[in-house]
Amino acid sequence: MQRESTIAAAAVPPGAGTAPGSERTAASGWVLRAVATVHIAAAFAQPVFAGVFLSGDYDGIAWHRLGADVVFTIGLLQVAAAAAVWLRVRRAWPFWLSLALVAAETAQYLAGMDGALWLHLPLGVAVIAALAVGFIAVWMRPLPRRRKEVRADA
Amino acid sequence: MPEVSRRRLLGIGAGIGAIAASGLALSAGWARRPAETGDQLTSEVPLPQAFSVPLPIPPMAVPVSSGPDGDRYEMVQREIDAEILPGHATRLWTYDGSFPGPTIESRRGRPVTVLHRNELPVPTVVHLHGGRTPAASDGYPTDLVLPDGWTGQHSHSMVDDRAVVTNVQREYGFPLDQRATMLWYHDHRMDFTAPAIWRGLAGLHFVRDDVEDALDLPRGDHELPLMIADRAFDADGQLAYPSVDPSLTGEHGVREPYLAGVLGDTVLVNGAPWPVHEADTGLYRLRILNGSNARHYELEAVADDGRVLPLVQIGADQGLLAAPVRHERLPIAPAERYDLLVDFGDLPVGSSVRLANRLGSGRTADVMRFDIVRNGTSAPIPEALADDLPEWDRADAAVVRDLAFRAGRMEDGRHGWVVDGLPFDPARTDVAARLGDVEIWRLIADVHHPVHLHLVGFRVLSRGGGPPLPHDAGLKDTISLRPGESAEIITRFDGYRGRYLFHCHNAEHEDMGMMANLEIA
Repeated sequence: MQRESTIAAAAVPPGAGTAPGSERTAASGWVLRAVATVHIAAAFAQPVFAGVFLSGDYDGIAWHRLGADVVFTIGLLQVAAAAAVWLRVRRAWPFWLSLALVAAETAQYLAGMDGALWLHLPLGVAVIAALAVGFIAVWMRPLPRRRKEVRADA
Repeated sequence: MPEVSRRRLLGIGAGIGAIAASGLALSAGWARRPAETGDQLTSEVPLPQAFSVPLPIPPMAVPVSSGPDGDRYEMVQREIDAEILPGHATRLWTYDGSFPGPTIESRRGRPVTVLHRNELPVPTVVHLHGGRTPAASDGYPTDLVLPDGWTGQHSHSMVDDRAVVTNVQREYGFPLDQRATMLWYHDHRMDFTAPAIWRGLAGLHFVRDDVEDALDLPRGDHELPLMIADRAFDADGQLAYPSVDPSLTGEHGVREPYLAGVLGDTVLVNGAPWPVHEADTGLYRLRILNGSNARHYELEAVADDGRVLPLVQIGADQGLLAAPVRHERLPIAPAERYDLLVDFGDLPVGSSVRLANRLGSGRTADVMRFDIVRNGTSAPIPEALADDLPEWDRADAAVVRDLAFRAGRMEDGRHGWVVDGLPFDPARTDVAARLGDVEIWRLIADVHHPVHLHLVGFRVLSRGGGPPLPHDAGLKDTISLRPGESAEIITRFDGYRGRYLFHCHNAEHEDMGMMANLEIA
């Protein structure tokens, strides 16, 4: 907590033309927030489809399969968006979190295809929990663009 | 309000991650991998060494009369004491004094009549599994044959106005206008099918035809019927089974924790524990039935030098395939049959081949063994088999139905198994099909459910939204659904009108609600 504040303070030195109150989320940050939001919304539909299927609606499994492809694709998009945040906002954690999510979603996809329900059910819950943590993390505080160090080097 | 830093939040996330990892580890350690539906009984007597008892071949049924109108058999359902485990006399319920019952040999289109006489202490019902049989002889669960002097209830948990109950004996007529295959007959009495099969009421029935004859497949002592069934034994060497009412006359069902299915720890083949069979280096035709109540097997033939012999599937539940399918491992669910060719030609005399069960653990990982004791004559495996398989197109389907097989409650509120949310009721028509219509059924399962349709064979269109698996080939009458799995099947309801069944062939599930009526009109 303390160290992050220090870094943030160092990143935005007073008198650099940016008032402390105007720490506004950069465009790349907004893209990441949007992707993370769509990601968790799509992922939450997956247990819904599974429940519909197991309640006897055969189409539920087709939705669940489609949902798996959609969630996985959004997961890859989130990795790309998080890479942009790393470059523009100079924060690496969204990238590593998104990469871990894609790894977990890959395992989840394969466990589902393989019918390994012992893994598929708890891992699915874990993925949703991780998505929720990431969702809160990207929305809780601004993700402002930082370019001072680049300029200082130049 | 002090702001929570991302660092703190990620710390919280790591905590959740640690909990999730623990949960996954718990699941990995606790859940059955591979999945298994049912619980295993443990025998209370020492079990014999594997591969020490010779493989018995069930006796052939001999007709009491044969004429231009077909063959007539008579069987007495009676109790015997048999030596299944060496040194123990085990009380069995049998067809005509043998377990498995006498094997009936028949030809396509030549009717068979079987007079069954019930000398057991409970009512019985005979069903020819896979038979294309008129409803009156299909062994509807309430069409009871009562034992002499029976004073108990007629139908146990349900009243059924359409039941045709007979005293002491009943004549079953089988037109057998169907493709060559191996069928099996077994008890199908309302509420008590599982314990009756467990006690021994099962036998094999072959149908032959010209298509099969033309292929010149191995026959005689090179065609082996193998009925695989698991059992467990109590301290007296009697069959153990966790019935709520062991007299099988009162409350049906099994005790906790066996509600998902009763598994035995002893694998019997044709009634012998882990038998051994002396074979030669020729080509063998194995006619395999999983006659177990709930146990699934994944068969693999392993030579003693470690080589895995291909299991060449030439037939399914309802007869020959169009072309052989080679398997390294072959899953088989309760009531499924496979027609296999296994070539021992590359093995030296003195070697052996173990038929293993890759789903088993400990002693249930073995099924039986072949000892190669002499040279035989090799035979080719035909690459083209039957050309008379029915083909149905999706576009021909008049109806598409979704049917879910899952856990639920029986009519008395106890835990049971249900089809589309409802436990079996003889008085309710669940599916009304028109004679001659093609239908697609989309089946959904929560745990393992081998789904069986009476009267008809079907083709598997898809499994889990993808193409069928290699062992789904051919014409089937039972399809094994794994946990959370779905499948699409297609069939034409033809042959006979009347009230038939479809149900889960996990026999415990079947007794605890998982059957439904199929009315063909």
